[in-house]
Formats: sequence, C-alpha cells, structure tokens
Amino acid sequence: MICEICLVLGIALHQRLSDMSLPRVSLFSACFAFSRDYHTGSNEGQKLDMAARCMLRSVWTSFSSLTLGPSASNFCSLQRINVPQLSALTIQSRGIRQVVEKREGNTITIEGKTVETPAAPEPPNPAAKCPIYRWNLQHKYNYTDVLLLSQFIRSDGGMLPRRITGLCAEEHRKIAICVQMAHRAGLLPDHRPKLPEGHVPKTPKPKLNRYLTRWSVKSVKPIYKPGLKWCKKRMDVGHPALKDNVRYSVKPLYMKH
Amino acid sequence: YQWATFARSWFVIDARMQPPGKIASMCSIRLQGKHKPIYHALSDCGDHVVVINTKEIAFSGNKWEQKVYSSHTGYPGGFKQVTAAQLHHKDPKAIVRLAVYGMLPKNLHRRTMMQRLHIFPDDVLPEDIRANLTEELPQPREIPRKLNEYTQEEIDAFPRLWTP
Repeated sequence: MICEICLVLGIALHQRLSDMSLPRVSLFSACFAFSRDYHTGSNEGQKLDMAARCMLRSVWTSFSSLTLGPSASNFCSLQRINVPQLSALTIQSRGIRQVVEKREGNTITIEGKTVETPAAPEPPNPAAKCPIYRWNLQHKYNYTDVLLLSQFIRSDGGMLPRRITGLCAEEHRKIAICVQMAHRAGLLPDHRPKLPEGHVPKTPKPKLNRYLTRWSVKSVKPIYKPGLKWCKKRMDVGHPALKDNVRYSVKPLYMKH
Repeated sequence: YQWATFARSWFVIDARMQPPGKIASMCSIRLQGKHKPIYHALSDCGDHVVVINTKEIAFSGNKWEQKVYSSHTGYPGGFKQVTAAQLHHKDPKAIVRLAVYGMLPKNLHRRTMMQRLHIFPDDVLPEDIRANLTEELPQPREIPRKLNEYTQEEIDAFPRLWTP
C-alpha cells in the first residue's frame, strides 16, 4: 500500500516536473536526506521506472533511517518483491553522471551530465546477479589483482556499498579483505584519503614492506612468548576467506607461519 | 676443465620486496655447497653469496610486529626482546643474517660460512666484490605491480565488471 502511494506520488511529481523542466527535486527531500546523484540527469526511456525506483529507494532509505518497526519490515518485504521486476528491466543502467556546477549571475545550476561509457564486452555468464559470478572469477582473484579491485573502491580507498556494485555478500567481503591487503602492501598508492591541509611535511617514518597482512598494523601485539612446538602461537598470513582460491601448485595454502 | 668445478663462485641476490626466509634458504644452500653434485660436508665446497637491498625486505603477514628476536647478554636482567620492526630499524642487515645463521648446519663450519656471506642494506657494493660476482640468482617471490605501474592501455583493456 505504501509503495503504491509512493508510485502515484512519484509519477505525479515527475509529470509536474517534466512540464516545468527543472532538475528533479523530490517533495520528500525536506524530510529525507538525498544524494544528488539519484535525481540528476535524465533518460528519455523508462522515466516511469526511474521515478518509481527513485521514490522507492528514497522512501526505503528514509524509513530505514526512521526505524519504524512493523511498517519498515512490511515495506522492506514489499520492496524485495518489487526488486526482481525492476532489476530485470534496469540491467541497462543510467550510466555515470558527472556533477557540473554553473553560475549565471544569481542562480547556480547544479546538473549531472551523462558521461558516455563505451559498451562493455559481454560477460561469459550474464544470467548471474553478482558481477564476479557473471565473469566467472569466483575463486580466481587475489590481493595482487589491482585492476579488478580498483573497480570497487572509491578514490579515497574505501569500498563502494554493495547495493551499488551489485556484489553478493561473500564476494563483497572477500573483495573488501583483498582491498585491505592491497592497501597495506602499498599497491594502491593513489587511493589515499585526502589530508585537510594538515601537517603534511612531517618527517615520515621509513615504511616497511609487507604483503598478505590479515590484521591492521597498529592492532597487532608482539609475540613475546611463542611457546613450544606443540602449543606455538602462530603468526597469521593471508586470510581464511581466500582459502578456496584456485591453486596451480601442489603445495597447500600455508596460513599459520 | 676439472678445476672449474672446484672453483668458488660469487652469487648475488636482490632482496627487494622478498621474504627474508626464502632469501636465507637460498643463501644457506649455496653457502654449504649443496647446489653442487660434488658436495661433501668435509670438503670446503661452499660459495660466496652477496645479498643486496636488505633494507627493502618484505615480511608476509603481520610478522614485522609479531616476530620477536630475543637475546640474553649473560648478565642478570639482560634478557632483551626486540620486534622485527625495531631490529630492522637499528640494523637492516640483522634479520637476513640471523635467518641464514639459523638455517646453516649447527657445527663449526657455520662461522666460516657466515664469513662468506656478504650482506648490504642497499645496492652500493665495494669495487672488489663487484669484480668477483659471477651469477645473479632469480628472486623467489614475484613482486606484484602497483596500480600506477600499469599502462593506461592495460587499464583500458581490462573489462568493467559492473556499471552503476
């Protein structure tokens, strides 16, 4: 019921806004926090679906933030029923938009210009939901495959959320772990967080080279008493989430050094 | 020709971004002479090994913080425990030297074999050692490439897995 109302409202809004030909701003924005990306740019086809999806997503985020108990669960279940229909229709995506700001006297127009993305080659298994399963890369990637990992990270090194990339839960976790290991190995030098004009010219400590680090560098304590051979405290290398990776050598994966 | 088989050759290993354990095992094999078919423990058939760039050594896992090197000066209260990171900061040659020392056979030949091992933290070598080098050994670990080391064509050739 809630989603029907939202659909109706969304369609009404869209018609009104298309007459006025303004960048779409939802009526709900007063109450809810929106990201600009969802509402800028336009596609001639599938306007209704776009509007419905935007509305649904916006209301869903708002409801989840308001944490209404029974209505939220109802809505979530309703959205889960609706999502398969929408995702089947929207495999063709809106594309990446670049936010452009123009100042004309008193008015500032913020617009999202669609950037032309070249057509991607066909994945070998287009029927799967997760991009890694679509390209059959389930157990084949490692922390060294930076070209693959860099597609799922932001410019400051953080991971993109699962609902945007479309990854399934395990693969998202594995990619997050590989991205962490790649950061600690220094394989992603350009994806550093921006320093807000802080004390940059402080003399940096000499960086130690490392790879396959499971734990964060600051959190690990030295093993002062390693123990005897039968009860030794082993040092962890790699991550157990990657233990099913394809191995081309006979030696087993050795994670407890 | 037979004299060439008994010659003592000089090997050089670049330890940049390599695990010190693998470097040490390669060194110990060549210091003992086990890479030669004419090996015998009593015949002094070990070779010289030069290790360079040891200050750029790479430990896997969190060993820089977890691995502890302990020693006792002999005096009471002289038990010193140092993490690998602190030891490397104090002396970049120590980690490789201790690793090789632990891998050699525990007899009196060990000291002479350690005298034949030459470790340098960077790649500045004295002229006489540089003149003696015969063979460079391949590195045990393949160094992974950083993102800025890939050319733009390679980055474009990699297909995009998902579109937003």
